Amino acid sequence: MKRQVMVNGRSANIEIDGSQLRYVRDEGVEIEGEFSLEGTSVLMNGRSYRVSKGAGTEIWVNGRRLTMEVFDSRDLRPGQCATANHGRQEIAASMPGKVIRVLVAAGDTVEEGQGLVVVEAMKMQNEMKSPKAGRVAEVRARPDATVGAGEILVVVE
Amino acid sequence: MSLFRKVLVANRGEIAVRVVRALRDLGIASVAAYSDADRASLAVQLADEAAHLGASPSSESYLRIDRVIDAAKRHGAEAIHPGYGFLSENAEFADACAAAGIVFIGPPAGAIRKLGSKTAARQLAIAAGAPVVPGTERALSSWEEARAAANSLGYPVLLKASAGGGGKGMRRVDRESELQAALRDAASEAGRAFGNSDVYVEKLVEEPRHIEIQILGDHHGRLIHLGERECSIQRRHQKVIEECPSPLMSSHPDLRQKMGQAALKVARAAGYTNAGTVEFLVDGNVDHGPNFYFLEVNTRLQVEHPVTELATGLDLVEWQLKIAAGEPLTLKQTDVTWRGSAIECRIYAEDPDHDFMPAPGTVVHLSEPAGPGIRLDSGISEGWNVPLEYDPLLAKLAAWGPTRETAIRRLDRALSEYVLTGVRNNIAFFREVLADTDFRGGRLSTLFLDRFFKRRKKLEADPEFEAAAALVLALASRRAEVPRRDIRRWLESGREELLR
Repeated sequence: MKRQVMVNGRSANIEIDGSQLRYVRDEGVEIEGEFSLEGTSVLMNGRSYRVSKGAGTEIWVNGRRLTMEVFDSRDLRPGQCATANHGRQEIAASMPGKVIRVLVAAGDTVEEGQGLVVVEAMKMQNEMKSPKAGRVAEVRARPDATVGAGEILVVVE
Repeated sequence: MSLFRKVLVANRGEIAVRVVRALRDLGIASVAAYSDADRASLAVQLADEAAHLGASPSSESYLRIDRVIDAAKRHGAEAIHPGYGFLSENAEFADACAAAGIVFIGPPAGAIRKLGSKTAARQLAIAAGAPVVPGTERALSSWEEARAAANSLGYPVLLKASAGGGGKGMRRVDRESELQAALRDAASEAGRAFGNSDVYVEKLVEEPRHIEIQILGDHHGRLIHLGERECSIQRRHQKVIEECPSPLMSSHPDLRQKMGQAALKVARAAGYTNAGTVEFLVDGNVDHGPNFYFLEVNTRLQVEHPVTELATGLDLVEWQLKIAAGEPLTLKQTDVTWRGSAIECRIYAEDPDHDFMPAPGTVVHLSEPAGPGIRLDSGISEGWNVPLEYDPLLAKLAAWGPTRETAIRRLDRALSEYVLTGVRNNIAFFREVLADTDFRGGRLSTLFLDRFFKRRKKLEADPEFEAAAALVLALASRRAEVPRRDIRRWLESGREELLR
């Protein structure tokens, strides 16, 4: 499992494979080793940590407060994908980033899973895919534009 | 022993819990008075009965004399404990209790009145022979008068607005050449702020420490003191760390008795009974001192009373109840002894990184510290919504140890165990203060926190902490398989086997 992490305004990556963990800050600091997690108790390389979630994005580790969000880097999923894939679909950025390429134009016919927009977030490029076959109703994303989480990029009908 | 059958607690938060606990310890039924916001408070949950006062604003609930008296009558309470704040130092409330045939657990209304105004209390202290900060007391009428007064006091001096407060119209003057300009500035600032440009001059107390004396008096003429609490660690003129003994006492062993006697003189002159606190300013004068000066009297139980309880082994709320019930104070001054060291910090819903701004919110996760030497007086529980209407004090964490060093270590340990999420708070901040070398060395003054902030280093985020937090968040969606517990072994095996 690979996830991207925003912590106190910086970004990092975490990889979890069984009981092995690798945490890499963008500036290069790396923590690697074996872990075990039970409730609020984390054991990592033999050391013990107590982790409690707070309000919103706050999380406390051994009495220290962090603001942290973890994103799924594999698929920056379209905003409405949880609902049935019919009707009007708004494809939104799930985390802040920058639009690298716009692959479709309004009026285009698209297949389910076809790439619509490429967004770079935390140094990773992610292709936003169409949740359904249909017609592109609207393209709001502009190349090089900075987008916020939840911002609608493309609308597919 | 004829204490009360039932007592109403006219307060909220941790102090309401504290009083409810004392009542339960004494076998007295408790009634927690509450506002809308406090309907599900810990005090309401722990009390035997609860009485609704009104809407959340204090002016509609905890400050309403009529409603508090009515609640006590409705529930058949014989006495009211006012806690601190709210109506605790309100002479009119003490009178209203008496008129309703209810015992007010506190000093007589007359003593509250005599000590209520700072200037009247100062006059009373002077008459009683307690030292006050030397000064003119009256407004200065001319520059010549100011010069003569400042010279006789000795520089540095402090110019203060007669109508003053909040530092407005206040000027420090270090030498005569600065006096004239400072006088002009102070007077014009006071005039703008208060519509009264009267200014007086006082001796400036350098490196001031705030040290107060706990007193206890009964209705039979006995009045004793329970020693000091040092409360020099303050933010916005509010105490955040308090301790007993004051670190100053180890180098000045006779200071406690001197201050204690001065406090008793003031209390005697005011006709004081029940628990009270006489506050002093103590200077850092190592040559002829330290000198102490009377500030004011708090005619109630103090927030920081637990440190006195830990150091003396006495229960102040129990004594308040006994004294209010007319029992004699069976303790003599010589019965009061101090053991080890106690230190307390006030846990507030506030943000130490942003000028201690109050930070309301809902307590998401709460795991409270315990263990040797730890006492926690808390008013919160998980899911508790910290109301905007009141002071953001959540809890008081205190530690006792045979030495100050041990007490500090225990307090630090307890802070490290304390998990309180969902509400910004000062728990982590206290650990920084406790680690400070000046704090450890007992070099305290009311200027401590200002200086601490100037030398405070931003803590580096620990990558291991981040990794642990990221791990928890990344795996949060993963459903934990809850294994069915097989309890047959417990049921079938003997105790011997289980203990093996």
